[in-house]
Amino acid sequence: MDQFISLLTDPVAFWNSHTLLIGQIGINGIIATSMFLVLYSGQLSLAAPGFMAIGAYVSVLMGNYWHTPGVLNTVTAALLAGVVGLLVGLPVLRLRGVFLAIATIGFVEALRLGVILNVPITGEGLGLSNTLSADPLGGINVIIVSLIVIVIVVWRLTKGRLGNAWAAIRQDELAALSQGINVARYKMIAFVISALMAGYAGALEAHLFFNVDPSDAQYGVTRAVQILTFAVLGGSGFVLGPIVGALIITLLPYIFGAAGDYINVLAGIFLIVVIVFRPQGIVGRGGLALVRPAWWPGSRVRAASTG
Amino acid sequence: MLLRLDDVTRHFGGVHAVDGVSLEVEDGSIQGLIGPNGAGKTTLVNVITGYTRFQAGRAWLQADELTGLPAYRIAALGIARTFQNIRLFKDLTAVENVLIGMHTRRRDDTLAQLATLPIFRGAQRSRVKDAYALLETVGLPTAVGTRHAATLPYGDQRRLEIARALALKPRLLILDEPAAGMNPSEKQGVRELIERLNADGLTVLLIDHDMRLVMGVCKHIAVLNFGKKIADGTPEEVSTDATVIKAYLGTGGEREVSSAPGAGGVNEETEVEQAAVTSKAAREPEKAILDVDDLTVSYGAVVAVRGVSFRVAKGEVVALIGANGAGKSTILNTLSGIIRPESGRASFDGLDLTNAKASSIVKHGLVQVPEGREILARQTVLENLELATWARRDGAATRTRIDAVLKRFPILGERRDLSAGSLSGGEQQMLAIARGLLARPRLLLLDEPSLGLAPQMVDEVFRAIEEIHKDGTTILLVEQNALRALAIADRAYVIETGRILLSGSGDDLLHNPAVRRAYLGG
Repeated sequence: MDQFISLLTDPVAFWNSHTLLIGQIGINGIIATSMFLVLYSGQLSLAAPGFMAIGAYVSVLMGNYWHTPGVLNTVTAALLAGVVGLLVGLPVLRLRGVFLAIATIGFVEALRLGVILNVPITGEGLGLSNTLSADPLGGINVIIVSLIVIVIVVWRLTKGRLGNAWAAIRQDELAALSQGINVARYKMIAFVISALMAGYAGALEAHLFFNVDPSDAQYGVTRAVQILTFAVLGGSGFVLGPIVGALIITLLPYIFGAAGDYINVLAGIFLIVVIVFRPQGIVGRGGLALVRPAWWPGSRVRAASTG
Repeated sequence: MLLRLDDVTRHFGGVHAVDGVSLEVEDGSIQGLIGPNGAGKTTLVNVITGYTRFQAGRAWLQADELTGLPAYRIAALGIARTFQNIRLFKDLTAVENVLIGMHTRRRDDTLAQLATLPIFRGAQRSRVKDAYALLETVGLPTAVGTRHAATLPYGDQRRLEIARALALKPRLLILDEPAAGMNPSEKQGVRELIERLNADGLTVLLIDHDMRLVMGVCKHIAVLNFGKKIADGTPEEVSTDATVIKAYLGTGGEREVSSAPGAGGVNEETEVEQAAVTSKAAREPEKAILDVDDLTVSYGAVVAVRGVSFRVAKGEVVALIGANGAGKSTILNTLSGIIRPESGRASFDGLDLTNAKASSIVKHGLVQVPEGREILARQTVLENLELATWARRDGAATRTRIDAVLKRFPILGERRDLSAGSLSGGEQQMLAIARGLLARPRLLLLDEPSLGLAPQMVDEVFRAIEEIHKDGTTILLVEQNALRALAIADRAYVIETGRILLSGSGDDLLHNPAVRRAYLGG
């Protein structure tokens, strides 16, 4: 808690002494926006860590072997993640709901256990160290600017014809078809843009730290669940929702530093409380009103009904 | 010729859902498509609109061949449809729903959106204006535009779905049971809407159970039964066709029929005038098994039931009738403990229903068969019944109980190993009632057992209800089909906007013109 006091008293010093934290928040914000996009188009995809891994490894390997400039590495890595998104999406996007979630987890784990931990060039279990400077792109400013640009782009996309089609698909695929919406195509567009964003975030993250770590918490199911939590906690109805979720989840260990190993217990309790009293997420319909659950004492209506 | 079907076929396993149907729809006409439940009407629509693949046959919309095209391409070619069970984008506003309908007519504006160019805002503004105009066309007030689709009343949702379909600027509009679950005055509104749209040059393919609606509005009608087209002609030709009457009403019904119901149009009205009886006040039974006193139920700010009192004696059949949204289902849901009342009392054989848990209410012998049946579609008939008894420990007794119930409904016995979802609507209703019987009810609450059933099936369901009553079960019946409910009820209450308007014996009310007024809304 103490370290946040300087945020008020001396913001510049706070900024300078917490660059890693702020950078991590920005990166998680971009990934959260990538998650928002797939959820907005009605797809429960958990593939983001896979695309992040592609972004991270490709950009670092390019820098280490070919000594190409960081900007080129990052852009190439993101594009490649998008291409992989297209290839993965072709078979996988026929699935819906929880089946899509499982299939995308399959992709994430196959990539991590099957490729990254088995191919010598990735450094296998040891990971990859970033022999170039850790942030060749000019530090966390790039991350923050990227986040802002991406949020604006996604927000604008949801407002146009594309966004209307996504909303229709999310609400009811069959009805969307009857309105002449090519459901498969629009789902693929959302999935690929989301993969591009996750790949970009992965590349940025690899440049923020000195080491690319192929652990579960970084590119595995644990990360996928964490990203999903951003959206559930923050709310997936508005583009800012998952970012708020990412901010809170990233900050929790710092705010409750005193909790030590119990931080995950605290985070779990916090999440349950939010889901019970605020099922639409923190950012969502109804201002800041809390929902009174049916079992709460004094709650009269137990189930809604028509007629 | 706008739409031409040639030998269209679709089988599901051994079921010949659509079996070699050829049909032509004239440009600018209103074509009717009728048939008993399970005749294949909706399957045919699904094939035409690309939701279900063709197995054989071909279809054209003017010069465009539809065969094998995906649903979104067919929609873009100009066939708009509504769905039997409304499929709106529930969390979007009414206007947003209509705007999505304009998808195919809209240029892609992704880049413009990114640049937020003001010229494109003008286009959006004119689209929103068009959307409001379409809402007006179907008779929805402007104020509805910003409301979320899910919060609209049922009739308005139906209208909104039509407005969304019109946003496609279709050449052909297919309406799949647009008047299902509506009261007669709402049906009249739908009929006027269809006629108005047709007068503006739109071709309509209308599918409905309600013969009166279809006969009144269509110049040409095709009849399906078991996937085959059995008749095709003017309303007069179709309604006097012997095959049609047999398919629709079944044989061995109690009534002698010379024409399909509704074809004559006004016979019920004359009947009511002849018997100009005023209803005696209902004689409330002295000893009641169910006693409801001044019950008030609200959903948030909306009061659904206002101070309703009534009693049901052991062995009676009591009906609650009234239009959609009158509060009938709310009363049943309150009695079975699903909803809690705001005030008032309700007791069943000594048990306070306003406080007891839903599960103990069932144990006490008050069992509800819910509206819309709520069976488990993917489980078999037998599994549905077994699941209904899973909390019981007396295995052998349960077994014989299930066997007895299957004997009572022989059609379920025949289909015990089929998945419940593959049953027809009437059979599903039988299953729902059978499941209710397994709980050994002393009082059975039936919520709209005839909902969405063809007349022939309604007969069968009501026959089953009478038999259950004969076995000594008290029945509280909620129905929109007032004539049918009154025919079997000892006593009935007419509910309107949450209040009891009238009460009396079934016979009295059946011949009471005030019932017609209350029920038909004028």
